[in-house]
Amino acid sequence: MSVLLKLTNVAVYVGDTCLLEPISLELRQGQPLTILGQTGSGKSLLAQAIMGLLPDTLSFQGEVEVFGNVLSLEERQALWGRDLVMLPQEPWHALDPLMKGIYQVSEVYQYVQGKPNHEALARAKQDLDDVGLADSAHKRPGQLSGGMAQRLAISAATAGGANVILADEPTKGLDVSRRDGIVRLLQSRSIAGSLLTITHDVAIARQLGGTLLVMKQGRLVEQGDALEVLDNPQDSYTRELIAAEPKSWTEKPLSSVDTSAETVLLAENLAIKRGGRTLFEDLSFSIKKGEVVGVVGDSGCGKSSLGDALLSMLPVSAGNITRFNNTAKPYQWLKLYQDPPSAFTASVSLGTLLEDLVRLHNIPRERISPLMTRLNLPDAILQRNCLNVSGGELQRFAILRALLLDPVFLFADEPTSRLDPITAKDVTSLLVTLARETGCAVLMVSHDPDLVRKTCDQVIAL
Amino acid sequence: MKKTLRASQLVGLGLLIGLLAFSVLGMAFSPYSISQQDLNAVLDAPSSAHWLGTDHFGRSMLTRMAYAVGLSFALGVLCVVTSSLLGTALGVWAVWGGKRVDHVLGMMVNILLALPGLVVVLLFAAIVPGSFWILYLAISLVQWVEYFRVVRAITQNVIQSPARQSSEMMGFSRWYQFKRHIWPAIAPSVFTLAAFGGANAILTMASLGFVYVGIQPPLAELGLMTVELFPFYSDAPWLLAQPLVVIALMVFGFHLLAGKRV
Repeated sequence: MSVLLKLTNVAVYVGDTCLLEPISLELRQGQPLTILGQTGSGKSLLAQAIMGLLPDTLSFQGEVEVFGNVLSLEERQALWGRDLVMLPQEPWHALDPLMKGIYQVSEVYQYVQGKPNHEALARAKQDLDDVGLADSAHKRPGQLSGGMAQRLAISAATAGGANVILADEPTKGLDVSRRDGIVRLLQSRSIAGSLLTITHDVAIARQLGGTLLVMKQGRLVEQGDALEVLDNPQDSYTRELIAAEPKSWTEKPLSSVDTSAETVLLAENLAIKRGGRTLFEDLSFSIKKGEVVGVVGDSGCGKSSLGDALLSMLPVSAGNITRFNNTAKPYQWLKLYQDPPSAFTASVSLGTLLEDLVRLHNIPRERISPLMTRLNLPDAILQRNCLNVSGGELQRFAILRALLLDPVFLFADEPTSRLDPITAKDVTSLLVTLARETGCAVLMVSHDPDLVRKTCDQVIAL
Repeated sequence: MKKTLRASQLVGLGLLIGLLAFSVLGMAFSPYSISQQDLNAVLDAPSSAHWLGTDHFGRSMLTRMAYAVGLSFALGVLCVVTSSLLGTALGVWAVWGGKRVDHVLGMMVNILLALPGLVVVLLFAAIVPGSFWILYLAISLVQWVEYFRVVRAITQNVIQSPARQSSEMMGFSRWYQFKRHIWPAIAPSVFTLAAFGGANAILTMASLGFVYVGIQPPLAELGLMTVELFPFYSDAPWLLAQPLVVIALMVFGFHLLAGKRV
């Protein structure tokens, strides 16, 4: 097993501040390496440092050895594509939105490998067949689903013949079922070389095996064989990360909903059509006060449409929705959004937004501060606007705003899918607890069946 | 809104304020009127009696320039205010008012866009020659279209944003949604368009004056003065230069103030 990539005391600084503390690691042939950690733990910086992609404002120290030679920044850049390749986080940003998929791959054969036009095209076609994109070869990236786009990006990135693959959050925003496919594809691509994966997803680390490095705030906290570390974590941070995975959440107590609680909402034989396609049919369920109902399914199956329909924001093509609570005002039927920063205006501070709400509905001000403490929100965030607050804080602020209105029904549309696992766990459990306490019915959409199973009283699978 | 103006924008603003000050002071303190002739002193060079010289009828150029600049500013500002208010209001309404409103407004805009702007203004000016108000009406009518199209495009995105949807769900009024969500998104573009619009209005009025369909003599107007002084370009080039330089400075000032390209 030859060493393909070796880092010796690699560190990244901005000015005098250390962003990534000195780290040494070895990537061996056929033995994948996974770096696990939350956002802001310096994982992506490490990958950029290896590739030589660091922004000019950051300085780099240490040695990077590729195939046994110590290489400078320029020498490493010369290896791009042919020997060393990095997969971008979001395929949408890496693919040309106007070019058909097959040409994006054949271009690599043509210009990186210097193959003649027809051979490049034939090889590209073969590549796409191999990853199951034969029917979509002539589609543009915008017409592909997230998983398909990622497969296309992987094909294009590895067409240059590189064996050492650096994958930065390769499965971000993908459904669980798609996620496994991508991981398998990456594994098969790196058989002749090796794979360095950066992720916050414990499940991926488990699936990839090999060596695992756990990072926290630019520091290496634990390393070793992946399965060993995950089954028997030594560091408290690693334990916290593993515990945050929905799969390992504690089972919810049974029958937490009072069966005699009044029904808030009844849906009978619902069907929704969008763009001429029937998303689902004959869906019937009822939601009681304080009940948390989970909706699971792959992306594009109509989870969000169902929630929007219950909030009367979308028409249903068949069936009835009955709201039982006639005294509730329209503003007590609310929604929590998937991407917290996009759900707030950045033009004013969060404090102003809260003040607007308090004044509009004459909410007693003394309710705010206990609720802020409960949601673990520091007062200081009220002075900032939504772009200067972390995603977790912002989502908790969204919950605060909703709870001040005494909602009877809350539609939470993947409220934690953009958050780090530890933050996601906190936010989810807070939401569920507060909903039960206040008797608010919650419809929680998620692509993670484990999360829904562990938190919800009733599960609707689409 | 205007937290920081860049250096070039400050220069533009300074230039415009300087010109406005010249106009106001000139109108207030000049001992001459714009039509007071002195045929014993025609085409005089600048002197202590006439700081900017006299034209071919012996009228004080300083006084006439002050009134002309004032007139241009008045028209520019009126047109900008009217067309930006109209364009913004209709642009937001087109998105918010539903498909039918959008179709009707879109059709109106397409009709206006199909006609070259200057032709529309010429047409109006030809109906009532020499009227300031008809010029104002015509230029505003042409200019609101730009605001409408930009505002409508941006508003369409904002209307669909979760942020606005969430505000609506919480029971906030439409005015609140406009104030917090739509206006912050469109304001920078509207300000930039307004700065360019001011320059365009002034240029349009000068063009009409130049072809004798705009403001009529004996009033002083920059384009009209240019064409009146044109025959004397070799005898008294400093006279012809004055309206031309001032038009250029005003347009330059507005463009600097705009700060960026649309």
